[in-house]
Amino acid sequence: MSALCPPPSPAVAKTEIALNGESPLLAATFAYWDNILGPRVRHIWAPKAEQQFLSDGEITFLANHTLNGEILRNAESGAIDVKFFVLAEKGVIIVSLIFDGNWNGDRSTYGLSIILPQSELSFYLPLHRVCVDRLTHIIRKGRIWMHKERQEHIQRAVVEGTERMEDQGQSIIPMLTGEVIPVMELLSSMKSHSVPEEIDICDTVLSDDDIGDSCHEGFLLKAISSHLQTCGCSVVVGSSAEKVNKIVRTLCLFLTSAERKCSRLCRSETSFKYESGLFVQGLLKDVTGSFVLPFRQVMYAPYPTTHIDVDVNTVKQMPPCHEHIYNQRRYMRSELTAFWRATSDEEMAQDTIIHTDESFTPDLNVFQDVLHQDTLVKAFLDQVFHLKPGLSLRSVFLAQFLLVLHRKALTLIKYIEDDTQKGKKPFKSLRSLKIDLDLTAEGDLNIIMALAEKIKPGLHSFLFGRPFYTSVQERDVLMAF
Amino acid sequence: MISAPDVVAFTKEEEEEEEAYSDPPLPEEYSVPLFSSPFASQGANPWSKLSGAKFTRDFILISEFSEQVGPQPLLTVPDDAKVSGTFDLNYFSLRIMSVDYQASFVGHPPGCPYPKLNFVEDSKVVLGDSKEGAFAYVHHLTLYDLEARGFVRPFCMAYISADEHKIMQMFQELSVEFSKASECLKTGNRKAFANELEKKLKDLNYTRTVLHNETEVQKKNNEKGYYSTQAIEKANELASVEKSIIEHQDLLKQIRSYPYSKLKDSDFHPYEPESAVELAEDNLEQGVTTSKPDETGEMNPYPRRSSYTPKLIKAKSTKCFDKKLKTLQELCDVYFFTQTLDQLHQIEKTFRGDVCYLLTNQISRALLKKQTITNFLFEETFTVEERPPEKQSNAFQASPLDSSDAKYLEVCPVPKMAINLTVYKSSVESVPIKMDQELEDTPGTEVGEPMAYDQQDNLGYLDADLKGSVSSGESIEVLGTEKSAAALALSESQASLPQPHPSPQAVRNKAVSRRTISEDSIEVLSTCPSEALIPDDFKASYPSAINEEPYADEEDEGLRFSPSLNLDRAEEMGGDPEPENLLPADSTCCIGKESSSFLEPLPNLAPKLCDDDGVVSIPPRPYRQADQEFRINFTDYSSHDGITGSLLTYEPDPHYLMSSPETGKISLDKCSDSTVSYMSSTGSTSSDRTPSPAPLIGPSGERHKKKAGQNALRFIRQYPFAHPAIYSLLSGRTLIVLGEDKGAVEKLVTALSIFVPNCGAYAKPVKHWTTSPLHITDFQKWKLIGLQSRYSRYISILDADSKTLRCPQYRGALISRLADHRTQIKRGSTYYMHVQTLLTQLCSKAFLYTFCHHLHLPIREGETEDSVAARRLNFLKAHLGLPHEDSRVVQYLAELLKLQYLQDPVRGVSPVLRFDYVPSALYKI
Repeated sequence: MSALCPPPSPAVAKTEIALNGESPLLAATFAYWDNILGPRVRHIWAPKAEQQFLSDGEITFLANHTLNGEILRNAESGAIDVKFFVLAEKGVIIVSLIFDGNWNGDRSTYGLSIILPQSELSFYLPLHRVCVDRLTHIIRKGRIWMHKERQEHIQRAVVEGTERMEDQGQSIIPMLTGEVIPVMELLSSMKSHSVPEEIDICDTVLSDDDIGDSCHEGFLLKAISSHLQTCGCSVVVGSSAEKVNKIVRTLCLFLTSAERKCSRLCRSETSFKYESGLFVQGLLKDVTGSFVLPFRQVMYAPYPTTHIDVDVNTVKQMPPCHEHIYNQRRYMRSELTAFWRATSDEEMAQDTIIHTDESFTPDLNVFQDVLHQDTLVKAFLDQVFHLKPGLSLRSVFLAQFLLVLHRKALTLIKYIEDDTQKGKKPFKSLRSLKIDLDLTAEGDLNIIMALAEKIKPGLHSFLFGRPFYTSVQERDVLMAF
Repeated sequence: MISAPDVVAFTKEEEEEEEAYSDPPLPEEYSVPLFSSPFASQGANPWSKLSGAKFTRDFILISEFSEQVGPQPLLTVPDDAKVSGTFDLNYFSLRIMSVDYQASFVGHPPGCPYPKLNFVEDSKVVLGDSKEGAFAYVHHLTLYDLEARGFVRPFCMAYISADEHKIMQMFQELSVEFSKASECLKTGNRKAFANELEKKLKDLNYTRTVLHNETEVQKKNNEKGYYSTQAIEKANELASVEKSIIEHQDLLKQIRSYPYSKLKDSDFHPYEPESAVELAEDNLEQGVTTSKPDETGEMNPYPRRSSYTPKLIKAKSTKCFDKKLKTLQELCDVYFFTQTLDQLHQIEKTFRGDVCYLLTNQISRALLKKQTITNFLFEETFTVEERPPEKQSNAFQASPLDSSDAKYLEVCPVPKMAINLTVYKSSVESVPIKMDQELEDTPGTEVGEPMAYDQQDNLGYLDADLKGSVSSGESIEVLGTEKSAAALALSESQASLPQPHPSPQAVRNKAVSRRTISEDSIEVLSTCPSEALIPDDFKASYPSAINEEPYADEEDEGLRFSPSLNLDRAEEMGGDPEPENLLPADSTCCIGKESSSFLEPLPNLAPKLCDDDGVVSIPPRPYRQADQEFRINFTDYSSHDGITGSLLTYEPDPHYLMSSPETGKISLDKCSDSTVSYMSSTGSTSSDRTPSPAPLIGPSGERHKKKAGQNALRFIRQYPFAHPAIYSLLSGRTLIVLGEDKGAVEKLVTALSIFVPNCGAYAKPVKHWTTSPLHITDFQKWKLIGLQSRYSRYISILDADSKTLRCPQYRGALISRLADHRTQIKRGSTYYMHVQTLLTQLCSKAFLYTFCHHLHLPIREGETEDSVAARRLNFLKAHLGLPHEDSRVVQYLAELLKLQYLQDPVRGVSPVLRFDYVPSALYKI
C-alpha cells in the first residue's frame, strides 16, 4: 500500500483561474484523509489575483481543518455530508463536502471545499444550495471515476507486472476543475448581476398605468402564473436586455428576498451561461436570435422551470415538481450508470461522457404549454392596475397578495398534515382539500402546491408520487379523447 | 412537446433497463435515490425525516473539551432525558468538540514574558451525523479559568435537530441568538475570572508577606554570615511568588482591557451594566492593583463577600490532575449562567418545530411590514412597536408625488380633492342620524338630515328561506363617531361622576344630547336591574344613560344625540346630512395624503365649503391638532372610566395574553386541538413536532389560536346560523352573546373573536364576559360581547342558552367559504390558519376599494354623486365579485381602514357610532 502512496510533499498543486469579474471565492480545495499523515490537501484552485487574501499555507491549514474530526465520521453509505464553517478568527467561511471513496487502493475520506471571506456570508447563504447541489453531483461522478481508476490500475499492474506511479489519482482533478471553475464564474456573475434584495416596483411591469401598456396582458398573466406554478423558477430570454430585465424584476417581485438574491439579471453585452439552480435568470439571445438551453442542466435544477421568451411572448413550463424530480433522478442515475459502465479511457473522458449523456435524454420536450388557468393571479392583475401607480399602493397590494399565497400554502401543508397524521396515512381527499381551501381551479392548486413544496420538500411526491404511473396513464387516456 | 406515451416509457422501472446490461450494476452507494433523498425509502414522506432521529425533538447541548476527560456533554436544554432519548450525547460531543476551530494562525507571540490571554472570537460550525440523523449548529466559545491549562476552557453550544435544511435555513438567526448567549456566558466569565485573579493576588500577596517575614526572621538569625539551604529556598520561593504576582497582575489587566467596543458595535447589549464597563476602564487607567478590590466588587450585580481572607499558597500545589475543575456555573457567575440558560430556553422555544412554520413566519413578517395600513384589522402581531407611524408616512412620502406638490395637483386636482365626504359611502345603508347639538353659546346646528331608507331593498331579504327561523322586526345597527362616543361618555360621567379635570372647552360648550326619534329609540340602560330584563322588554321608558329627549317633531326613524365635545366638528359639518360627515376627511384624502405630510393639511387644496358644481361641502381634514386634543380628552376619560369599571375602556384582552392566568388554566380538553377521535391517540407525537414559536407568532400565542380555532370550528359545525352571526361581526354590527353560564358564553365569544376586525392597536373590541349594564357607547367600543343578561335589538344577539340568533340575514358567498360546516378541516389551528388566509384576502379587497381613487372621485366634471355611487357598487359587484352583503363587509372594513389611515396611527380606530335599520331574523337550531 505504501508503494501506491505518493510521497508527501510540502508543495500542493494549484490551479489559478482567470475570471472576468470580481471573485468572492478565495479558493477551493480538495483534501483527503491519509491514514498515516492525517488530513492532506491534494489540490488548490484559486482565482488569479494580484493580492491574495490567503496564502497557500493558510489555505492548506484551513482545508486540513475541514477533515479534522472526520476520523469519527459516521455516515450512511454513499452519503455526501455538508459541513459549514464560519471561522471568525480567520475571517473566512468554508463549505466542505465530505465523502468516502476508494482511491489508490484505500477507502478513505475526502473533502471538497470552497473558501470565502466572512464578509460574504449574507451573499453566499442564498446561494448555498446551488453550490452544494452542483458540487455534490460532480463528487458523485468523481468518486466513480476514482473507483474505476483503481480497478484499472490493479488490472494493468497484474497484466504488465509493473506499478505505474505517475499520474496516479491525479485524473480526478481535471474533472473537479470542470465544475469548480463554473461555480467560481457563477459566484462572480452573481456578485455583479444578482437581483437586488428589494425591488422598486417602478422598475417593473406593475408600474404601468394600465395593464398591457408595456407587455401584453395575456402574456403577463401566463408568465406570472407559470412562474409561480414552477416554484418561482424561470428563465427569461430575449434580444433586448432591458426588456428581459424588466420581466426578470417583475417576476422577482413574487419571490422572497432570499430567492431574489439567488436570481440574476441579464448582462447587456454578452449573455451569461444558463446556471442550474437560480430562481430567475435573464439570458440574452445571440445574433441568430436563439438561446440554447443545456438540457442536462435544466433537468438538474431543483425545481421545474418556466421558459419565457419576451420577443415572441411565449410561456412554456416544465412538468410539476414530482414529475420533474422523478425525471431528474432518472437522468442522474442513467448518467452515473453510463459512467460506471464506461470501459475505456476514451469513454471516461469528459467530452465523450457529455456526448453519452445525450443518449440518456428521453425524447421529450420538457417545456410544455401552460395548461392550467388560475384565478389568483388573474384576480390580482385585474385589480392591481386599479390602484394609482407611482405610490406605494401597488406594493402594499402585492404584499397582501403574496401573504395570502403564503398563508394558503401553509394552511395546505397543515391540512395534509392533519389528514394524513403527518404522513402516516395516504392522502385521499384532494377533492375536499380543493373545496375547503378554495383551490378548485387547477392553476390555483398548482401555485399553492409549488409554494408549499418550497417550504415542505417532497410534498408533491407524497401527494402525487405514488399514483404517478396511474396519473400518467390517466392523462394518456384523457388526451386520447 | 412532451407526450404521455413517452412519459410512460420514460417512467418504467429502472430494473428493467438495468437487466438489459450484463455489466455489474452501479453500486447503490454511488447512485442517487430515485425519489428525492429524504424520501428514498418506501413509506417515506415529507415528515418522516423528522422521526428518523433517536431524539424526539430539537434540543440544545452544551459540551466541553475537558482537559481531564476530553469532550463531554454538560447539559441539555430542555433538561429532560426524554428529549435526547437514546441519542448518544457522549459520542456526539466527541464529534463536535474534537477539533479546535478557534486555533489561531499565530499562537502565542514569541518573546512575551507573561502569559497572554487571547480574546478569540466564536466559531460557528454546521455539521451532521447522517447515520444518526442528527445535524447541528455548533457555536464554539472559550472561557477563562485560572486553574485550566493555558487558562482556557473550550466549550460549545449545539442546536441539534433532525432536519438538516432547517439548520442551514435558520443559520443566521441561530447565529445571532447563540452569539447573545455566548456573550452572556463570556461576560460572566470575565467577571468571575477577574474575581478569581483578585483573590489569587490577595493570596499571593499574603504569601509574599509571610515569606518575607520568614526571610527577615532568618536574616536576623543569620549570624554565621552565610545562607542556609532553607534560606535560599525561601528566597527562591519569594522570588517565585513575586513573579507570580506580576503575572497575575498582568492577567488582571488583560481581562479588564477586554475590548468592550465589540459589544457596543453589536446589536446585543448584554447584561453588563454600563457602569461596570466604565469602572473596568477606569480601573485599567488607574492601574488597579489588588489593593483596591472593593471597586471591582461594585461591578458585580450580585453581592459577594466584601472581605476575603487570604490563604497561604504552598509551592507546587497546582500540578495535580486530580483537581476538580470548575463547573460552568462557577466559571460564569450564577447570574450570568442563569441568564444564559434563559436565553437558551428562549432559543429552543423559538426554533422548535417544523421549519416550514418558521419560514412562513419569517416571510409573513416581512410582508406584514409592507402593509402596515391594513395590519390592524386582523393581524395579531400588529403592535405599536412593529408599526412605527413615521415609517408609514415615510413610505408614502417616498413616493414620487411627495416631492412635488405640483405633480400632485396634476394628479388630484383641487375639485376632486375637495369632494364632500358623501362620496365615501357608509358600508351600511344608514339611517341618517341627526346629531343635534345645543350649545349654550352656539345655536343648535342641525348636522344631519334623514335619508330615505331603502326599505324595498331590505325587504327583499325577507324572502330568504329562514329554515325554520322566525323573522322579526327591524333592528338597528349602532355605530358612532369617536367624538360622539366620547361626548356621550362624558355626558354620562358628568351626570354621575365628578369631572376631575374638565377641559375649559367642555365646560364652555356644555352640550345636551338628544335623540331625534322616539319610536325605535335606543334603550341603553345604566342602572336597570339586569335580572329583570328580557330582550323584548326594551322600552323607551327605561332610564337612559345618555341624556336623550324625544323630539315632538322629529322624523320617524331618525335619531339625534349631541356629542358634547364635538364643537369643532359640528362647526365644520356645515349641515351635512350624512353620519359619515363626521369623519375628518373623505377617502380621497387617503390617496391625497400619500403625497402630503401626514399632519399638515395642504393649504392650497383647502376647498370651499360649497363650490360651484355643488359637490364640495367641507374641506378634507387629515388628522388635525383638534382631533388630537379630542383624543387626549377621550383617553383621559377612558382611563378615568376604567377605574370605575365601566365597559368604555379598551381592556387588553386576557385571552390574547399568553401569560394570562386564564390561558394558563386551560384544561387539557380545551387545549386539545382535534375535533376527531384519532388525534387523541397521536396527540403526543404530533405535539412534539408541532410548532410553538413563542415570540414570533405574536402576543396571542399558539395556544389561544388553537383554542379559538377549535371553538370556531365547533361553532360553525353546531350552529346552522353561523353565517349571519359572522356576517354581523364582519360588517361592524355588534354581536352579543347571552347566556347564564359564563364558561359557555366565553367559549362562544372566543370562537367568534377571530372574525372581529380590530379597531385599536392593543386588543380586539371583544368583551368576553360582563355582568354590568350596557351603555350606548359600548356598542361603539365593543363589537363582540359576552353578556350575562339579555339585551336589545340594535345589535345581533346570540343566545347561548336557547340557541337562537337574532340578526340580519346573510346571503353572500364570502362567509360560506370562511365557515363551511361541511369542511374537512380537522384541527382548530388549521381552521384558524384558513380563516386568517381568507381574512387577509378580504383585507386586500378592502384595501383596493379604499384606495382605488377613481371609485371615490368624479372622473369627469359634473358627474353626479349617484353616478359615483353606482360606479362604486358596480366595482364591488363586477370587479370584486361581491354580492350585496359581501359588499357591506368590504365597505365596513374599508371604512375602518380609512379611519385608521386618517386618524391617529398609533391609537387606532374608533369606529363610527351609527344607527342603521336593518331587518333582523330570528334563527333557531
